Amino acid sequence: MPFIEIKHITKDYGEGRGNFDISLSIERGEVFGFIGTNGSGKTTLIRQMMGFLHPDSGGIKINGLDSWNDSAKIKKLVGYVPGEIAFPDAPTGTEFLKRQAALLGLRDMRFADEIIQKLQLDPTAALKRMSKGMKQKTAIVAAFMTDSEIFILDEPTTGLDPLMRTEFVELLNEEKKKGKTIFMSSHMFEEVEDTCDKVALIKDGKIIAVKSTLEIKHNQNKAYKIEFETIDEYLRFTGERFDFAEQREAKNQVIVKIHDTDINRFLSALKGYRLKFITEIKYSLEQYFKSLY
Amino acid sequence: MFSKTIFKQTLTQNWKLWAAFTGLTAIMSAVIIAVYDPKMIQRMMDMVKDMPGIADMMGDRLNETTSLLGMLGESFYSMQGILLPLIFVIMTANTLVASQVDRGSMAYILSTPIQRTKVIRTQALYLITSILCMFLAVTLVGLGTVQIAHNGLWGQAYTADVKAASDTLGVDKEAAANDLTLILNSPDAIKAGARAREIDEDVYTAYLNLKLSEKAYGAAAEVLGLDIHTVSADPTLIKNDEAALKAAAGVMGLEPMMYGAMLNQAIAQKDMATEQAKAMQEKLMAGITAAAAQLNMEPGDLATSMGKIKGDSKAMHAMISASGLPEGMVAGILNQQLAGDEISLDNGINFKLGNYLLLNLGAFLLIFAIASISFLFSCVFNLTKNSLALGAGIPIACLIFQIMAKASGSLDNFKYLSLNTLFDPRAITSGGTFWPQFTALALLGAALYALGVTVFKEKDLPL
Repeated sequence: MPFIEIKHITKDYGEGRGNFDISLSIERGEVFGFIGTNGSGKTTLIRQMMGFLHPDSGGIKINGLDSWNDSAKIKKLVGYVPGEIAFPDAPTGTEFLKRQAALLGLRDMRFADEIIQKLQLDPTAALKRMSKGMKQKTAIVAAFMTDSEIFILDEPTTGLDPLMRTEFVELLNEEKKKGKTIFMSSHMFEEVEDTCDKVALIKDGKIIAVKSTLEIKHNQNKAYKIEFETIDEYLRFTGERFDFAEQREAKNQVIVKIHDTDINRFLSALKGYRLKFITEIKYSLEQYFKSLY
Repeated sequence: MFSKTIFKQTLTQNWKLWAAFTGLTAIMSAVIIAVYDPKMIQRMMDMVKDMPGIADMMGDRLNETTSLLGMLGESFYSMQGILLPLIFVIMTANTLVASQVDRGSMAYILSTPIQRTKVIRTQALYLITSILCMFLAVTLVGLGTVQIAHNGLWGQAYTADVKAASDTLGVDKEAAANDLTLILNSPDAIKAGARAREIDEDVYTAYLNLKLSEKAYGAAAEVLGLDIHTVSADPTLIKNDEAALKAAAGVMGLEPMMYGAMLNQAIAQKDMATEQAKAMQEKLMAGITAAAAQLNMEPGDLATSMGKIKGDSKAMHAMISASGLPEGMVAGILNQQLAGDEISLDNGINFKLGNYLLLNLGAFLLIFAIASISFLFSCVFNLTKNSLALGAGIPIACLIFQIMAKASGSLDNFKYLSLNTLFDPRAITSGGTFWPQFTALALLGAALYALGVTVFKEKDLPL
């Protein structure tokens, strides 16, 4: 049985909002990305996982426990970064983390301090004066200091600058090495592509596709853009037997799809032509999902 | 059942608001109790009544609204003591739940392994505890003020004159207080008692006699199983019952025969032909008017401070000649009036601890019930604005309906729309029924808290 099993979850808010018949399974130790535009239903699913929302139908099992009925037991396994940054009334970040630790029954703050160092956070600042990025870091510390088995993160990198984002990705990778299961939502393709093992795309509350990032990275279907020196060369090449994705006569450019097994035939064919340049068009998750939209 | 950690954190986040409102409410209560002066209140009542008749002058009793508790019931426990806690519970109930859900900060509490029901029950517990502590504080401050400003808690049984007289007599305070005839029979004790009360000896004697006859009526009423007011309005009731007559005579230190004769006199006075009484009244009024002119005062003002006539021989003379009554009679009437004032003073501060505690219990139960409304809507809604619309709107509407119902008889039916009607301070201070209302408030409150907890447990949270 999968560690996290989402089965036919539906929550209909009317007017097409909510989520519809979502099924996903996440294995122990997996880093799972959940991507979609704003309002596509990412947060709704996360709230259902946390037991904040009652699904209309379907169910979520985390480690065999029902997300609504056994929600308090599940929380022992979960560290959570909410999508909205709003802290309870506490004067400083330190005080907030201390209170949160008390609620969690957490005594040892060494790990929390470690994460604070890593994220270069100054938690002694007043919560109300913190910038968005600092608040987000505080929320991340609050989630990761639990050292839980599972982390559920709702757009955890919002407000982080690119440098901090790198630090955060490092933190994720460390946790992954420890065998933690991570479920994170995002609206940025690059981010999930860098960190996740598997990515699901959600659109209008429905799962469009689930893809392993490994498949994307080791994709054998590549695309190359070639520009020829003259129109004659260009015309001659279009006569060759290749799979052309695009032909731009005005620029003497073509985009050719070449499977890795065909690369030698392609290179030897190119020998007889005078080129201006050739580049590989990198295949990304974004491209993959855009093709499905 | 409850989470100690959450309770502590809720306390750290909310105690300042509690302290501010409790402090303010307690100070209000203390000030109102401290400035209470039965004579002043009586004067105010008389001014309202415009020209007081002779009945008012003769041993005017303060009615319930002018006693300390009656006054507190009409003022503090109808306005400040309700309004301030009301604002506090509206704010706190919203802060405890709806505002945290609205802001999203509730997510942090609910992402810990503490059950949702436990979280919400703890918040309800905080709300109830804070109200309870608020009224405990107000009650304690009130009791302290009663003791400091009016000596109303301890030593009330022994007024200053009893203390002085018992010292002179060399007897126990309790003995002297229980048997005032001891004082009456000793000229030295009367002298000491009058000095302690800062009044004339003849007024003090009249006061002791008034007090004695009141006690006698009380003893008789007890034997007859009747209200003291019923008995004093119709003394023939005592005369017709041998046991009652004996009991009353015992208090006065008289033989039943003698006391019976005294009663006959009182009955005869009561039965005095209306015309005769009217003539007497007119004579007295003429006397007072003349004395007032001499003292350069309004007759109405003078009627409530007749001690001034006694202190001014010219005024006294003017009154005697204008009324055409014998000097002894005028002096007697004045003494009676002043003795009556002294009794009012005693009665006004006559502080019934039980009733005071009941007033506070009632106010607590009312606020407990009102808070349950605010708490319920705080649990129902995810947005502060909706939670406040009903959680503040309904309690405020209740308050306004109650004020409307009180303001005009034609709007009296509004009281049925208001929860506040269930706490009626006057019912407590003047012996009406209030326990059924108290029970209703307690049950309603408990039910709404339970409903709020259930709603919160089952609802979808946007966290």
